[in-house]
Amino acid sequence: MNDWLNLLIGLAMGLNLVALGTSRLPSLIRVAALQGMVLGIMPLVIEHELRLLAVAVAIATVAIKGLVIPALLRRAMRTANIDRDLHPLIGFLPSLLLGAAGMIGAVVLASRLPLLPEHHESLLVAGSLASVLAGLLLLIGRSKAISQVCGYLILENGIYLFGLLLIHSVPLLVEGGILLDLTVAVFVTGIIVDRIQRAFDSLDTRKLTVLRE
Amino acid sequence: MMMDWLIAGAVIMLVAAALSGARFPRVWLALTLAGTATLLATAFWTLGGGAEWDWRSSFAVGGERIHLRLDALSAWFLALVAVVGGGGAVYARGYWPDCEHPASAGRGRTWWSMLVLCMSLVLLCANGLHFLMAWEAFALSAFFLITLERERRETRAAGWLYLAASHAGTLGLFAFFSLLATKTGSWELGPMRDHAELAPLFWVALFGFGVKAGMFPLHIWLPSAHANAPSHVSAIMSGVAIKMGLYGLVRFSGWLPLPAGAGWVVLALGAVSAVLGAAFALAQNDLKRLLAYCSVENMGVILIGLGVALLGTANGDTAWGRLAMAGALLHVWNHGAFKALLFFGAGSVLHATGTREMSRLGGLWRAMPWTASLFAFGSAAISALPPLNGFVSEWLVYLGLFDAAASHTRVAVAIVPATIALGVTGALALAGFVKASAVVFLGAPRTQVAVHAHECGWWMRAPMLALAGICACLALAPAAVWPFISRVLVGWRSAWSGGKPPASLITLGYTHLALAASLTVAAIALWFRSRTNGVRRALTWDCGYALPTARMQYTGGSFAALASGWFGWVLRPERRLHWPRGPFPRQADFVERIPETVLERVIGPVGDAVMVASAWVRQRQQGSLPDYILYLVAALAAMGALVLFGSI
Repeated sequence: MNDWLNLLIGLAMGLNLVALGTSRLPSLIRVAALQGMVLGIMPLVIEHELRLLAVAVAIATVAIKGLVIPALLRRAMRTANIDRDLHPLIGFLPSLLLGAAGMIGAVVLASRLPLLPEHHESLLVAGSLASVLAGLLLLIGRSKAISQVCGYLILENGIYLFGLLLIHSVPLLVEGGILLDLTVAVFVTGIIVDRIQRAFDSLDTRKLTVLRE
Repeated sequence: MMMDWLIAGAVIMLVAAALSGARFPRVWLALTLAGTATLLATAFWTLGGGAEWDWRSSFAVGGERIHLRLDALSAWFLALVAVVGGGGAVYARGYWPDCEHPASAGRGRTWWSMLVLCMSLVLLCANGLHFLMAWEAFALSAFFLITLERERRETRAAGWLYLAASHAGTLGLFAFFSLLATKTGSWELGPMRDHAELAPLFWVALFGFGVKAGMFPLHIWLPSAHANAPSHVSAIMSGVAIKMGLYGLVRFSGWLPLPAGAGWVVLALGAVSAVLGAAFALAQNDLKRLLAYCSVENMGVILIGLGVALLGTANGDTAWGRLAMAGALLHVWNHGAFKALLFFGAGSVLHATGTREMSRLGGLWRAMPWTASLFAFGSAAISALPPLNGFVSEWLVYLGLFDAAASHTRVAVAIVPATIALGVTGALALAGFVKASAVVFLGAPRTQVAVHAHECGWWMRAPMLALAGICACLALAPAAVWPFISRVLVGWRSAWSGGKPPASLITLGYTHLALAASLTVAAIALWFRSRTNGVRRALTWDCGYALPTARMQYTGGSFAALASGWFGWVLRPERRLHWPRGPFPRQADFVERIPETVLERVIGPVGDAVMVASAWVRQRQQGSLPDYILYLVAALAAMGALVLFGSI
């Protein structure tokens, strides 16, 4: 079972790198959605017997992360009429390298953390840290609002992975709350993206700095 | 019980004075004088052998009960606060009247009463928390007094510098008192010599109180604040307020255990302050700035005395330590009296001519005979010339130094250079005051403002006469003060109890009396002789060149050039010289400016560096979200690294 879980986490970590390396917004959204779905089925793998609650949560997660949020983002992208992040603050290759370095660092760090013995074997902590780092890197390095939202999604996926450590004691309560927040956030961002596009004729968040004070 | 009423009465009168100051100058003057007189009475009651006054409130302020205490040491400084506080109030009526300063005169009266009150409270508070509160209120009152004339740019700059430096010192005091409270478990202050772990706190106190006391590298605020404040404020700042820093040092060096090197460090700082203060004073062209640097010098003399006393306590309570401490304490009074007198005199000159620049004055002796005589009297006293009071206290310090050097202990290594430094200081101070008195009052007027000078009124003259009288009393009857000093010494260090006045002090008193009598006789004889024979009148600083123009007189700068040349390495005078060129030179000039070396060469560059660094940081604050996230990640990574690798 742990093998299945580790395989899924490895897939998610690979998707992080894809997300960091791509310049096209549709594929970035697709990667985030795919990662969300991969994460969504993880509770099913972890739970020993399938309970209704776990199944319901898995279905809800897959539906929201894999379908609803990407749909919202695609709509925003279409309204804004862009599909590329042409001028990233950190280039694609450097961010890919940084992401890879972060992944190695995450694995090293996870091996040094004082974890419970049953978590030593799994990649959960490493994958979680790597996803958080990849998400932060997207947030720092991309200029378009939509890619930054994808960064938030991946960041949240990392937090979700960490929450899976506690699945036996706190069954996805925290995660449910975060997910709700995030959906609303994406919804709002979708609207704001539309407005920014109309007001500034661009989605470059760097131009928003002139609004301060 | 009587003391309760007296002190409560003084506090109430001063508060009432502060409230009435803005509107009712006469009421204010009466209340301030009554308040300071009451304070003076309580101080002398305590010094004269009255029981130590101790009072605790039944209510709490800031979570602590108020605890006031008046012992001999507090009373010693309280007497000074009362004398200069009262004298300055009278002086202000002539010097800073409503008709000349309608905007600031009322404000000045209010803050004057507040300053006197807060300084008295600093001396009375025996609780660390309330001590800090009183200290802060005292610093703020002084700030408002310094900036009375705030429409002038230099005054505002001086005020801000004072405020910043004062708060740097207060920060040290916050650290000191809170560490003290943490280690002893209570804010109560009192003797705690048995807590050996408190010894390192002395260094924090030395910084905090040293800023206020104007110790040499920490004196940066002092010259500009004293020069730009109104003169009665300069008098109380220089005569009394900087003594509060000294009071803190004396108080806590008496109560706390001392670290091993305390005496050496205080002695060294005192010697540096004394010599460099005198050197800077000599080089100044601004009369009040000269007096301000002279305060640094005199604080140095007092610190030398204190340092020797600390060495004495560390070497088994030797008699020489006691002598030096007595000299330091007496110098506190002496300096308070003659420095206030000199600042009042400088204020009188400033009031009459509107300028503090000595190179624009000269020949004021004719127009202002009272001011000139009193200023000369004060100059002689501060230069420690016998038979005046400055000589008595410096002589006690010298006695302590000589006895310490003769004791053939390890201490002599530091004592001999300190003695030499004190000697050099005396010579430089004398040169500085010859320069000040002579350039301002003798010779011919250098400019029109000096020609049109007028004598000050009685409101200003009376306090000067009173202070001169105090100086004369201290000079002629030094042994009469000894019982007071002896009580302060016992309070500071119980091992130094008892003891009659040193025989040489009584001898000195008689010598001074004889000298003063013979000087008076000589003066009268000279007066009679000049009455009968007539006298040839000539200009003092003539040098044969006073015609065609008075500007060709010998100047203060050229008088001081030789001595200040020896200190060129620290004075770093900025000179601009245009040589006369060709057979018929059109124009030639020479400008010399003495910078504030510590401020401009040390603090200034450090401040600039901080500003550059801050500007750089400000550039990184451009409201860009990705940047902020980057800082967040970096900080997180740094903390993670600290946790991971810091524990290895």
